[in-house]
Amino acid sequence: MIYLDRVSKHYEVRGGGRKTVLADVSAVIRPGDAVGILGRNGAGKSTLVRMLAGVEFPSSGRVERRMSVSWPLAHGIGLQNTLSGADNARFIARIYNHPIPKVLAFVQDFAQLGGYFDMPVRTYSAGMMGRLLMGLSFAVDFDCYLIDEVTATGDARFLERSQEMLSEKTRGRTVVLVSHVAEHVKLYCRTAAVLHDGSLTFFEDIDEAVATYRAL
Amino acid sequence: MSASADPGRLSAQRPSGLAQTVEGFRVQLRVIHALLLRELTTRFGRGHLGFLWLFIEPLMLASAIGGLHWFLERGRTGAAPIFLFYVVGYAPYFAFRSIVNRAPTAFHANMTLMYHRQVRLLDVVLARNLLEASAVLCVLVLVIGSSAWLIDMTPHSVPTMVFALLLMFGLANGLSLLVAAGAARWEVVERLVHPLTYLSLPFSGAFFALHDLPPRLRDALLWNPQPNIHEMLRDGMFGAFMVTHYDLLYVIGWVAMTNLLGLAAIRAVRPQLEF
Repeated sequence: MIYLDRVSKHYEVRGGGRKTVLADVSAVIRPGDAVGILGRNGAGKSTLVRMLAGVEFPSSGRVERRMSVSWPLAHGIGLQNTLSGADNARFIARIYNHPIPKVLAFVQDFAQLGGYFDMPVRTYSAGMMGRLLMGLSFAVDFDCYLIDEVTATGDARFLERSQEMLSEKTRGRTVVLVSHVAEHVKLYCRTAAVLHDGSLTFFEDIDEAVATYRAL
Repeated sequence: MSASADPGRLSAQRPSGLAQTVEGFRVQLRVIHALLLRELTTRFGRGHLGFLWLFIEPLMLASAIGGLHWFLERGRTGAAPIFLFYVVGYAPYFAFRSIVNRAPTAFHANMTLMYHRQVRLLDVVLARNLLEASAVLCVLVLVIGSSAWLIDMTPHSVPTMVFALLLMFGLANGLSLLVAAGAARWEVVERLVHPLTYLSLPFSGAFFALHDLPPRLRDALLWNPQPNIHEMLRDGMFGAFMVTHYDLLYVIGWVAMTNLLGLAAIRAVRPQLEF
């Protein structure tokens, strides 16, 4: 489970003033949930994901993780651009204490980067990057996967593949996916929430959430 | 600090007390090991001479400085060989400077890796410092080893030298933690650090024997921990060949203080980091 206990987050804005991303939000994400979080650009979706992941700290309130939570899977995040995909896989294997050959083989097989696996990540296309990230995160077993728009990249074949992988890998596990694309949330999630003006509203019914989001 | 303050790092079941601390240390060691290897590959690539560059650079610089002074001052009949004097002064100074100068970028250059919860700012700084320190250690072992072999000039006391080097790395580490934390919070720190390390060169005592200075100036310089350490190094290297001045306890106090403050600063700045 992940508990959000009266979490607020604001940033100091240059030239005075502050921007509030979350205002006094409490929520529970239960094991097995597949929650989509919809929000417009700049609503604070990525900040929310970073706080769920424990990367960024709330300004006040508490985030408690009672399961293993992945790092936020977002474009280019958690990777070293100048290193090759393979070197990144080695790094991930080392810090998550997984056998290196196993991780390498898995990522190579999943991401299908071919010769690019040994090229620096900065030479990758957005789709290849997305595939590498998904591969890396699936090579490590987490109870909960945090996905930040990363499924939006990649072609139709990869989308299908990652959807298949997601549903296989996340069976009985937890997924939190943030996106500004309602279709992606519909595709991967069972419930949804809308992040707007610092408040997070949960909906049992995805269509209701999407309707609310579109009406914003 | 980083071991016990570890809310649900990887596993869902949290051990308590000592077990948690031990597990925390294990994770930290793993992370630092991975960071070290990553730093080596990013900075020096996999091809060519690779990580040999790590110590070729300080070796070349130290030899150039040593050689230059040996050439300029060869008329002077000092007891301590001039080349060695300058290498023993320059190499640790080089480590100190590069450790402190690299600290301001620690957070921003590694931000993307810190998306992995177990990678901490402290680990990033420690991994970099270990790398710099071991490079300079290699240089010194190489130069002093060959001088022992070629001109029969063996260090007077290896333990004193090793201890002095540890103190130098310790001081640099403490300062780098403070700088890394400060730079993550205020941009201006990054701009200040380079000129400051540059301007502090004359006060470092790396390139002259304190005994040659007027006593009042010498006493003033000894308020700075750096000249104390350089003098201790020379004491370990040259022993009775020269008179050295330093206060060991004073230096240890500085090292302990900067490291404790540095750890506290790193911890304090963590909740305020913006990704």
